[in-house]
Amino acid sequence: MKVLVTGGSSLLGRAVADLLIARGDNVTCFQRRPSSSLANDVLGDIRDRDSLMAASEGGDAVIHLAALVAPKASWTDMEAINIGGTRNALAAATSSGRFVHISSPSVAFHDEPSVGSGALSADYRGHDGYTRSKALAEQMVSVETTVPTVIIRPHLIWGPGDTQLIGRIVDRARAGRLALPDGGRALVDTTYVDDAASAIVAALDHCVAGDEATGRPLVVTGGEPRPLRDLVSSILQAADVARTPRSIPAPLAAALGSVLERLWPGSEPPLTHFAARQLSVAHWFDQRETRRILRWAPTVGLDEGFVRLREHFKTHA
Amino acid sequence: MALESPSDADWTRWGIDPTWHRTVRVDLPNSAAIDWSILDTGAGDRGTIVCVHGNPTWGYLWRDFLKTLSPSWRVIAIDQSGMGWSQRAEPRTLEQRSAELVAFCEQHTTGPLVIVAHDWGGPVALGAVASLDVSAVILGNTAVAKPERTPMPPLIATARRFVGLACRRTSLFVSGTAAMTHKEHRAALRAPYRSATRRAGVAEFVADIPLAPGDTSWVALQKSAANLADLRVPLLIVWGGRDPVFHDRFLSDLLTRAPHADVHRFPDVGHLVPLDEPMAEIASDWLDRVLGASRTTATGTPTNVQPASDQPFDNITSGLMRRSADDETAFSDASGSASWSELAQSSANIARGLVERGLIVGDRVAMLVPPGAELLSAAYGVWLAGGVLVVADSGLGAKGLRSVLRASGATWTFGTPKTLAAARALRWTPGAQLICTARFPGAINISSTSASADIALPIIEAEFEAAIVHTSGSTGPAKPVRYSHLALSAQRDVIRDSFTMTPDRGFVTSFAPFVLLGPALGVPCVLPDINVAKPVELDFDRFANVCESSPIDVAWLSPASARTIVATAAGRTVKLRLVMLAGAPISPELASSIATVTGADVRSPWGMTEAMPLTDGVGAAAFVEFGTNTGRPLHGAEIVVLPIDHDNLESLPAGEWGELAVRAPWMFDGYEHQWRTEHQSEITLLGHRFHRTGDLGLFDVNGDLHQLGRVQHALSLPGQTIPSVLVEQPIAAELARQTAAVGIGPIGTQVIAVVVQAVEKIRLADPDLTTLVRSISGFEIAAVLEGELPVDIRHQSKVKRDVLASSVSAFLAGR
Repeated sequence: MKVLVTGGSSLLGRAVADLLIARGDNVTCFQRRPSSSLANDVLGDIRDRDSLMAASEGGDAVIHLAALVAPKASWTDMEAINIGGTRNALAAATSSGRFVHISSPSVAFHDEPSVGSGALSADYRGHDGYTRSKALAEQMVSVETTVPTVIIRPHLIWGPGDTQLIGRIVDRARAGRLALPDGGRALVDTTYVDDAASAIVAALDHCVAGDEATGRPLVVTGGEPRPLRDLVSSILQAADVARTPRSIPAPLAAALGSVLERLWPGSEPPLTHFAARQLSVAHWFDQRETRRILRWAPTVGLDEGFVRLREHFKTHA
Repeated sequence: MALESPSDADWTRWGIDPTWHRTVRVDLPNSAAIDWSILDTGAGDRGTIVCVHGNPTWGYLWRDFLKTLSPSWRVIAIDQSGMGWSQRAEPRTLEQRSAELVAFCEQHTTGPLVIVAHDWGGPVALGAVASLDVSAVILGNTAVAKPERTPMPPLIATARRFVGLACRRTSLFVSGTAAMTHKEHRAALRAPYRSATRRAGVAEFVADIPLAPGDTSWVALQKSAANLADLRVPLLIVWGGRDPVFHDRFLSDLLTRAPHADVHRFPDVGHLVPLDEPMAEIASDWLDRVLGASRTTATGTPTNVQPASDQPFDNITSGLMRRSADDETAFSDASGSASWSELAQSSANIARGLVERGLIVGDRVAMLVPPGAELLSAAYGVWLAGGVLVVADSGLGAKGLRSVLRASGATWTFGTPKTLAAARALRWTPGAQLICTARFPGAINISSTSASADIALPIIEAEFEAAIVHTSGSTGPAKPVRYSHLALSAQRDVIRDSFTMTPDRGFVTSFAPFVLLGPALGVPCVLPDINVAKPVELDFDRFANVCESSPIDVAWLSPASARTIVATAAGRTVKLRLVMLAGAPISPELASSIATVTGADVRSPWGMTEAMPLTDGVGAAAFVEFGTNTGRPLHGAEIVVLPIDHDNLESLPAGEWGELAVRAPWMFDGYEHQWRTEHQSEITLLGHRFHRTGDLGLFDVNGDLHQLGRVQHALSLPGQTIPSVLVEQPIAAELARQTAAVGIGPIGTQVIAVVVQAVEKIRLADPDLTTLVRSISGFEIAAVLEGELPVDIRHQSKVKRDVLASSVSAFLAGR
């Protein structure tokens, strides 16, 4: 199969591209920077529909991962990249024939814990720009698509080389600046990057007309929720950081987030209100439907994932 | 002309399919006709269900019936003349309303007919049933007569007195009724009664309620009552126990007229039970059973099938009466002792006094008397007189106590000055005759009021009801459990034979209800000097004091007492033959410690309020890998292990765990007024009634039964269900700390949280303990916590898993 992957330079994008190549698919990655995957790279901007169409020319499917994840980015950029970019990817997919859209479980976040819930509707209306744009993009996809489409919402992807989640946790802990809301008691599920990638590949295979996978968004996680504190200790253990995170009352964390996101001079405030709330309440999901429909199950999981993370830190220290 | 109908949007907003609504003409006997507004779901294979509302409701009341019972049934909810959206016409009498219902059913229904009615729809429907060929009748809170010794409900009396003002000119009555249910129903209930003109029918209905023989509809109401008594088809009553108008005395009245009725009572629900509870679901299950004969049947062979004893029935009171000339001590406690002759004498006196005052066989007698000689005299007196003991203990809490007592229909209440004052003030047993045990001169010499020795006592038959006891409520609301005299005497026999109780050596107990067993067994019984509600207070000194000063060689202890005795023994010992531990699972460590302190054979039999005991309890002190070893089934008890997926009820072989179902001659007869609960907990195996216990367990290869906790506490993981004990046990054993595993999240996709006992509030366990627990367990443990495990009040040793699960869920959710 000839597959175009947008956002190939991300941790997940690269893993998806490599997994597809390993099984013999012909993969092109489309993004601004080189993907450092084994795929053919086409460098370009997701906002530029023509170059995207050109890259997908003659392809069979588009897997759309590209997105702007920056807490302080302007709504104009969010809208252009996350919604406009998705519209372009959908257009490219329409001529290809299959579309796998990568969304996020946070599009259904309403400040309430998710305790074993399924994929709720993408109706986030809060002021977190990233989440709002991803929610609108997902809605647009489900309304406007004319080709078989699978929407995947992987939750908290992590793995060796991850700068987003792992990198920040380790850096902050090293600096003694890591605090967890309410001691990190919220039960949180995560997805090891290779497990998320295999789910996306399974989604691609189920992206055919009439397949159950095409009817609804599917949340993908490792299915091993742990208290945030346990996850963070495992990560720090893997990175050989001896410091213990402090505890901060959840309401204080949220208030602090509100202040920081307004006053922080740079583009990446250390905490936002939205992130504080998300880390304060449980986030784990009913995976039965996802696994049944995709005929997929994670193969790496937490324990093996942490072993690999430890190896990575040893060799990249 | 019917009233202007609601719009499709209104119907939809009210949860009613707009296509169900139509207007039909009912031709009346006097050659007139009237237009009725009805909700009609259309053709159904099984027949037609006609639902009759009361005043001031309308067809909306049956919303759930329309949805739940169609399309297999055609369900029709009518609006009576002048009510709902039906035509407003001249006032109707009860007789006319019944005649109109007959006319409607004859003109507009065919095939099997089921009538459902609520409130004043009840008398209307019952007035009609004699003229119709009905297959079954279902009633909500209703009445056909004012029960004796009951005042007219103040709400009805007031509405009657100020009928124009309350019912027509203002919407007081309509709004007041609508306010009895959830907010979502109120607008719909009020919709057809917005103007005074439209409310005329409501007022006329109230005015027609007959209060005295001269009233217009008095004769018609008598006819409805007579029809109820003559009803020969299945009858279901679904009742709200908190109805301020049709309260429980009205239920008792209905049941004296129709004793064959099946009853499901919701203790905490008010008047509008069709809207507030799943009455329609119950009606559906019930109709399937009584008309469709569906039964839950299991296959396979119970363990230990042995013929029950065929000895003749020997009354529960005979153990006491046989020793009536015996001056040995029968009972003693901190306040003194009573001999067999004294107890027998006082019981007989009380019995004669009760008969003299009018107690008849089957009357319910609430016992608000703490364990002691007074309780024994009163209880055996009640049994001798043919009364039914209603046993409710303070462990239920004030609210629970009120609920179970009011539901019991007790017409007699024994109590102390304190408990009777509470009963009076809180109306626990409204209308009952109150008898104060303090009026008996002295604790022992209980002479009855003025009874003379020539009053004859009734002969007690085996199948007579003997007692209503209540489940603890630690695993759901307290359920009233009915026992016959046959079952109680069988229970006495199995205890006497299995545990070789002999007349000269008795027992000490920290379990209040077990005191009642002493006279039945004909063996002495001692209560230690503790607050019976706090078995944990029984320390070694108090225990040893009783063991040394009384003729006893057996102790029935709650695990909480046993723990205190062990903890305070300090190397001292007593000498007993047998120690029975019951009420909650016990650890092998506790069993062997108490064996050391007492030198006794320690047993932990399995049993429950519905059937006790069921196993011999041998093996309590042996180390077990799976749950609690409760020993072998007792002679006469049949036990099967059923798979919990319920699809295939074939009994499981040794080594496989499942839900335990039992049958024994000393098993309860049924739950009182809990039709649904009773039928959900009942299965048929080899043609016999078995009780599904809700306990999990397995038989090991030796035939010993291992108890593995409750079905509802099992961990419901994706793709598999696991008894929590299997997760807890290895961890508790390794850490030597009490441990509880609870499922977090929705059924079917739960994750496991393990809580290790500690003194402080629930918190995440430290990382080392977390890692250790995960390495011990073969299961994926989502979270490890430390904190205080909540235990039940009654036994002070059962972990309250519902409470624990909800606090752990909230904690881990970040709420």
